[in-house]
Amino acid sequence: MGNTLQIGSTIYCDVLIIGAGGAGLRCAAEIFEKKPGTRIMALTKVSHPQKSHTVTAQGGMAAVDPRDPIDKPIYHMFDTWKGSDCTADQNIIKKIVDASWGQIAWLENHGMHFTRDDKGGLSKRAFGGMTLNFGESPASRAVFEADRTGKGIMDTVWGEAMKGGISFLNQSIATELIFNGHRCVGAIVFREKKGEFVAILSKATVFATGGNGQVFRITTNCRQNTGDGLALILREGLPVMDPEAIQFHPTGIVGPGILASETLRTVGGILRNKDMDRFMERYAPKMKELAPRDLVSRAIETEIREGRGILNPDHNIQHIWIDLRHLPDYVHDEQIPEVTGFFRKFVAIDPKKELCPVRPSNHYQMAGIPTNEFGEVQKDPQQIIPGLFAVGECACASFHGFNRLGSNSILELITMGKFVGERVVDYLEEDLGELPSEAGEKTFSQFSRFMEAKGKDSVGQIREAMQGIMTEKASIFRVEDGLIETIEALKELKDRADRASLSSRSWAMNQEVVHRWELDNLLAVSMVMTQGALERKESRGAHFREDFPERKDEFNYHTLASMSEFGQVSLGKRAIDMSLFEAKGEHYEKFGMIERKY
Amino acid sequence: MSRVYRITLKVKRYDPDTKRRWVQDYELEAGRILRFTDVFRRINNELDPTLAWNSSCEHAQCGSCAVKVNGKPLLACELLVENAIKHFGCTAFTIEPLTIAPVVRDLIVDFDKAYERVNKAKPYIIDPSPRPVGESEYRISPRKLERYVEATRCINCFCCAEACISSHKRFLGPNAVMASIVRLMDPREQAREERLRLLYSEQGVYRCHTSMACSFVCPKEIDVAHFIALAKADRFRSGPEK
Repeated sequence: MGNTLQIGSTIYCDVLIIGAGGAGLRCAAEIFEKKPGTRIMALTKVSHPQKSHTVTAQGGMAAVDPRDPIDKPIYHMFDTWKGSDCTADQNIIKKIVDASWGQIAWLENHGMHFTRDDKGGLSKRAFGGMTLNFGESPASRAVFEADRTGKGIMDTVWGEAMKGGISFLNQSIATELIFNGHRCVGAIVFREKKGEFVAILSKATVFATGGNGQVFRITTNCRQNTGDGLALILREGLPVMDPEAIQFHPTGIVGPGILASETLRTVGGILRNKDMDRFMERYAPKMKELAPRDLVSRAIETEIREGRGILNPDHNIQHIWIDLRHLPDYVHDEQIPEVTGFFRKFVAIDPKKELCPVRPSNHYQMAGIPTNEFGEVQKDPQQIIPGLFAVGECACASFHGFNRLGSNSILELITMGKFVGERVVDYLEEDLGELPSEAGEKTFSQFSRFMEAKGKDSVGQIREAMQGIMTEKASIFRVEDGLIETIEALKELKDRADRASLSSRSWAMNQEVVHRWELDNLLAVSMVMTQGALERKESRGAHFREDFPERKDEFNYHTLASMSEFGQVSLGKRAIDMSLFEAKGEHYEKFGMIERKY
Repeated sequence: MSRVYRITLKVKRYDPDTKRRWVQDYELEAGRILRFTDVFRRINNELDPTLAWNSSCEHAQCGSCAVKVNGKPLLACELLVENAIKHFGCTAFTIEPLTIAPVVRDLIVDFDKAYERVNKAKPYIIDPSPRPVGESEYRISPRKLERYVEATRCINCFCCAEACISSHKRFLGPNAVMASIVRLMDPREQAREERLRLLYSEQGVYRCHTSMACSFVCPKEIDVAHFIALAKADRFRSGPEK
């Protein structure tokens, strides 16, 4: 077997993209367009980029068509600002909204199979929180591909990246960044199939590693979303932004937590409790089921806490119902076939005749690696790390602040993907240095500890215990005591993890070693999330403190969290960009610190 | 009360270090609507952490978890314990990796190699038509889209390629061929000659023996055979239907 704990080979390229989902490959496609022939390598931990989590996104992308007679970009900007609970950065909101229709057109022109209207143009639909005239009425603003919009995006950008000549490193993980002075010049990568470490030197490195849903017991996120990018950043001593800002989707299918898209509610699905009440009438009288996700999630959890939930015997989980029985057949068969198929397939029921069991599920990471408007990673609010970028769900520019509106996430992939790609091109003139002598030391020390641990604990069971406590005490409802207990529990779990031994010392396709590495990442992300939540003594967007249920002006900032050693979290601040408010243009007053009521 | 079943998984294993192949039995109790991916995870957590298997989304959207159960290619995340017992009429299941690419370990095969066939079919618009003047997008009527939109739902899980009775080495495979056919039916693709050359080449549709095994096993219920049949009936030479 030889000595695996060394750099097996060094690969040189122009751009290294860590993660090959929608954002990463949109970025690659942009680079190829601006500079054909660029050597781009994209690595992914799944077996092929087409298996990225992007493909599971269902609903749609919000974008105002310039030809629309009633919708306006400023309404989209307002909705996003209000939806974020006044914590998104306004320069980012403006940049993305202004670019949105152009990027939709890019996708269509490159072959995405959007659903069409009678005139052959792109169909549009409503989405929770998207309104006309600053909250007056729902806006039909989202374009979509049936209920598989994410798949459409993924297939399109994958195709374009291939056309441009990209190289993929599949089933591979980046374990350490390589620096030359202050500049990031690539990463150490573990190639799972052969079980070997390689060094990749690149002129620009882009994080596109997605979310961290596996922190929680019930999540819509795929198994691979273990917050790897954020953990890597923390390990380098760099900060993560708004770690406590985590979104729960109101309707996850009970048991597996599979996303039952918001589309179910936009086509007219009704949420009902044990007594068959349409309880959303009490929590959001105007928007009801189409109120933003955090509101609907808390409403459902409150109904369950107050004893109006139903128990599912197979999974032993409380839930409420979504009622689709009144919807016409063509809605079931043509607008929501994929999603109703989930209920048929995974719960063995017929949504046309029976009620469907749903419960809030962890869904999205507003948190992420702090960047400026070009996706350049920030060391602190004044300094960037030359050569290092972040894009997509793993980044925090921030487009979503403390709560993301439906149809804004996959929009971010294709807009920021383009902007980051453009900016990366500026870095391609630089020369690559040599591989520094200490490159890989952190990785080899970490992985040799994994292999040498001699305890009796099981990686899988520690992971489940972590998911249990994070779900119970640090998810939809948070309170001081619970958060403090969680922090202590995480420290214990880290100790257990350090003692967990592996059953096999083989390196080739050893999933256990990858799961052990993921466990360290999940624990790191959970720790900064919980500490951020503890420090933020207010409620804002998806972050809800039972002991501090109102939003407070003294917390009008982004959290920055670094962790030099496990458990030692230092917290800082980044100001919220208020440039739309400060520009004093038309409707500027809508972009102040406004109330978030629906 | 939930129903619990005692099942046995007979897994065909492979160790790349020793090149050893063997069948290993795992016996466990599983609730009725647990998925086979949940069962594999239970095996890792309670019986054998070394069993290697692939999954990602675990709800039939990504195609990572395709395996053969009692000889049938399917997605492990879609197979519920109770449905498996009803469908196969037994509580012992043989689990094998797909044969469309070399096995890396246990149930994991080399998707890089598998995708080579798909990449040959160029699953993207090679030469996009110019946009209509003054418009941001191409117009496609819903009726025209309906003719091929089902084929765009393919997730390249390779179940059809596995089930196909034609040679994996000589035929591009049903999913690859279908990917090219989609772009022949999409009015935005101008590179028709190139696509037709591949479709009717040595590796193309004439290798299909019309077993329709592809349509039979497709987890997305796409009638793959229908699209291949259109190609064999020579429906694409005269240009996309107006």
